[in-house]
Amino acid sequence: MQPDSAVLLAVLAIPFVGAALVPLVHRVLGERTAYYAATIAALCSGLLISQYERWGTVTVEWIPALDVSLVLYLDGLAFLIGLLASGIGVLVFIYSGGYMHGEPGQAKYYTTLLVFMGSMLGVALVVDLLSLFVFWELTSVASFLLIGHYQRADRSLYASRKAMFITVSGGLFMLIGFLLLGHISSFVLDGSTFTLIGTEQSLIGIPGEVTHAEAIRHELVERGLFVPVIGLIAIGAATKSAQIPFHIWLPDAMEAPTPVSAFLHSATMVKAGVYLIGRFRPLFVPEHVFAAEVWTWLFVGLGLATMTIAAMLAVSATDIKELLAYSTASHLGLIVAGFGFAETVGAETGAFHILNHAAFKATLFLVAGIIAHEAGTRSIDALGGLRHDMPIVAAITAVASLSMAGIPPFNGFYSKELLFDAAWETAHHFGGLTWLLPVVAVFGSIFTFLYSIRFLWLFFGDRPTELGEIHRPPLAMLLPAGVLAIIVLVLSLGAAPIAHDFVNPIVKSSLIATPEGYHFSVHLPHALKPPVLMSVVTIAGGIAMYPFYDRLHHGIRRLRSIALLSPNQYYDRGITGIAHVSDVVPRYVQTDLMRTYAAVVMSAVSVFALGGYLLGGTGTDLTEAVSGVNLALPITIILAVAVVGALAVDRAPSHIAGVLTLSILGFTVAVFYVLASAPDLALTQLVIETLVLVLFLLVLDRLPAFYGELRRGRAILDGLIASGVGLTVTITVLVTTAADPSDGIAHFFVEKAPVPAEHGTLITDAGGGNNIVNVILVDFRALDTMGEISVVAMAALAILTLIGMRNRGERA
Amino acid sequence: MSSNNQTTVIVRTVVRSVVPIIVLVAIGLLLQGHNFPGGGFIGGVLTVTAFALVYITYGAEYLSQNLLGISDGSVARRETQDVLDPDEAFFSGTVGRYSAVFGLGLALAAGGGLGAIAFGEPFLSQAVLYFDHIPVFGVIELASALIFDLGVYFVVVGSLLTILAVVGNE
Repeated sequence: MQPDSAVLLAVLAIPFVGAALVPLVHRVLGERTAYYAATIAALCSGLLISQYERWGTVTVEWIPALDVSLVLYLDGLAFLIGLLASGIGVLVFIYSGGYMHGEPGQAKYYTTLLVFMGSMLGVALVVDLLSLFVFWELTSVASFLLIGHYQRADRSLYASRKAMFITVSGGLFMLIGFLLLGHISSFVLDGSTFTLIGTEQSLIGIPGEVTHAEAIRHELVERGLFVPVIGLIAIGAATKSAQIPFHIWLPDAMEAPTPVSAFLHSATMVKAGVYLIGRFRPLFVPEHVFAAEVWTWLFVGLGLATMTIAAMLAVSATDIKELLAYSTASHLGLIVAGFGFAETVGAETGAFHILNHAAFKATLFLVAGIIAHEAGTRSIDALGGLRHDMPIVAAITAVASLSMAGIPPFNGFYSKELLFDAAWETAHHFGGLTWLLPVVAVFGSIFTFLYSIRFLWLFFGDRPTELGEIHRPPLAMLLPAGVLAIIVLVLSLGAAPIAHDFVNPIVKSSLIATPEGYHFSVHLPHALKPPVLMSVVTIAGGIAMYPFYDRLHHGIRRLRSIALLSPNQYYDRGITGIAHVSDVVPRYVQTDLMRTYAAVVMSAVSVFALGGYLLGGTGTDLTEAVSGVNLALPITIILAVAVVGALAVDRAPSHIAGVLTLSILGFTVAVFYVLASAPDLALTQLVIETLVLVLFLLVLDRLPAFYGELRRGRAILDGLIASGVGLTVTITVLVTTAADPSDGIAHFFVEKAPVPAEHGTLITDAGGGNNIVNVILVDFRALDTMGEISVVAMAALAILTLIGMRNRGERA
Repeated sequence: MSSNNQTTVIVRTVVRSVVPIIVLVAIGLLLQGHNFPGGGFIGGVLTVTAFALVYITYGAEYLSQNLLGISDGSVARRETQDVLDPDEAFFSGTVGRYSAVFGLGLALAAGGGLGAIAFGEPFLSQAVLYFDHIPVFGVIELASALIFDLGVYFVVVGSLLTILAVVGNE
């Protein structure tokens, strides 16, 4: 059954409309705006759920003239990401009602958060790559605003800039990849398309019916674009999903209010990257297993490296949110690696872990927010024994962090098991060095286990004496965390049926075709297979190493402090370098001297125009063009006077003489127009020349008395530029006048402009005027004139603003 | 402008007699533009030339207060008084009135174009009412394009006067 187009469009539109209304609502409701936003999120998720299992495509004509249409596609993966965005949105908005109590800028906060939710739904539902890109960057912008929520704090400014810089520039790489794909598609399909999936003429096709993936891949390889396209898309996904070495923005992003961290930087926005990988997987990973080597090595390498390194960094963290941030990067690495493995179990890993991770990590972030809010500190060393003060929170944390550690029977265990399975199978198939894959996976998982237990330990052990009185959290904050913990529990205990029914379509979204009779299923292990053994090693290793946690913590910190190993160092130095360049460039480009600008513009125009003629040819024979010019005697005389006037300008001893001789030039041109039977042009030229002369008189006494000494070198340079411009204009005029266009349009104007011989009282099909030039201006080409007078008005406004604002002391 | 005291009697006398003629010619060019050389742009620039002459000879204050403040039948005056934006200090005063003129011009041009839509024609379509054999006049032609041309005229006058006033203040 196809999804209902009105409902899907409503899901996209409601958050944006809701966001636009926030400023008004905030005036009425004040801090209770949180519940308004939660209602909107609930509405969206309700609408989305109503479309469950109605997989299919909705195409909405947007700009039919340009063949642009909005293509929405609903399948398991899109549904999951959309549900995360709206469902976790509900909980986060409720939580914000408690957390943001008394905080500044709430209207802005909820507006941005709703815009973010809408854009995230857009990322999930839209499969037109260009629209996808727009929504993708919108999430980056929203994230920028939310990280920088505390506008006065230097750290949040730094963090928001960093996140913006990394994710947006990554998005630009991705855009290039999209454009290349669109270009390639024109060789395979009827015309180029940016639709990824779901229509006849899309890059992947309609799953189960039409597939173009094979042909597109072939075309990409033929043209040597296969690796570049995957690489470009990978950069987009890696920056968004905080993969090594682009992970550095995520820990800094923790400057944002904690609900934002829970929502954007663990459950949804950072999932956009892995979503993209999952979405593109059917295009690049063929049906038969182990076939997509480039894809596999790129994403498995990226994912496992991120998973391991970020897990180690999490162990070195001193702040609970920093720990969770690195842990998020690490788990995203796990998902990326899962999607990387070119077999069914890889897709299973990615799909299932997106769900699991969103559930337990959002819970833990909300817990972190509660701790920071109630205990007043986020330092790991300063916290301990919190179970006495917050027993319910302790229970919630236990569920979520055991799931994160991958301990059976919690849900995190299942997806980790799937990863081990995929790594083992791949190593078994390729042999040799690939045996490192399962080893690295286990190694990284041990660190995951370690920091998960460390987080849980905040609630156990001794309570530090310096920890002050801790209040119970308000219900608005406790409830969402509790709901999420229950979801984790449900996912854990009901893993088998949920995987069978709910996750199965999600897995299928990332597969080009499913084997006969395939159905995704998970169950607790009942035999000692290699993946089970790997889990045993992970947990045993973790327990064995936990007593040395502090030593590991300090050891990794020492490693981190080596400047060469720190991507942050490179980032900071790069930014400083760029800022330095921006300081230096204006010194040469923006000299505040008219002569520099004029010289650059004029010579550029000449060089490009002449270069174009040289390379592309002029289409006419120049000598013929010159010989084709025949001037009547009066015109020759007038032009000769103009030349004399031009020479006189150069020799003029004073300003007044200069202006007057310049006017000779202008007026002779007007006479030339008269002789060439162009009275309108002549009139315009005369009038403008007069006005300019009058205006010159106005400013004449303000100009310096003489121009200063002229250096010989500069004079020669100016002379060269002037000759170049003269040459360019001359050639252009010769070429354009020699190219005799078919004069159909002229005949049309001559016929249509005047009052026709036979006519009624009201004439609408002709111009009705004898002055063709004016009729063209006000009737036939009135829209052009409209644009021109708008420009004139705009110029006046610009001058008014520039001069008016100059003394306002506004400095960037 | 300081040149107030520097201009000679000759200049003042000539300008005084020439400016009305210029304005009349400008309006004439504007109105005959449909059938003879002329039109909104040329008429507008010529009108501004007249104002610029007054400005140079008698100064900005004379232009805005004495000339445009009194009823001397000048074209720009009536329009500038109708449209005023006193709220914004930025647009207030003489400059504000000048800039209101080009706003009015844009509104005239676009509004005239919108009128065509009301009759089911595309935006900016023009029509002509043509009356033949009228006694005394012979032929009378009413072109909707004149509204558009008037818009062009006001935009040019308003913009150039704004620029003149703003830059002249410096």
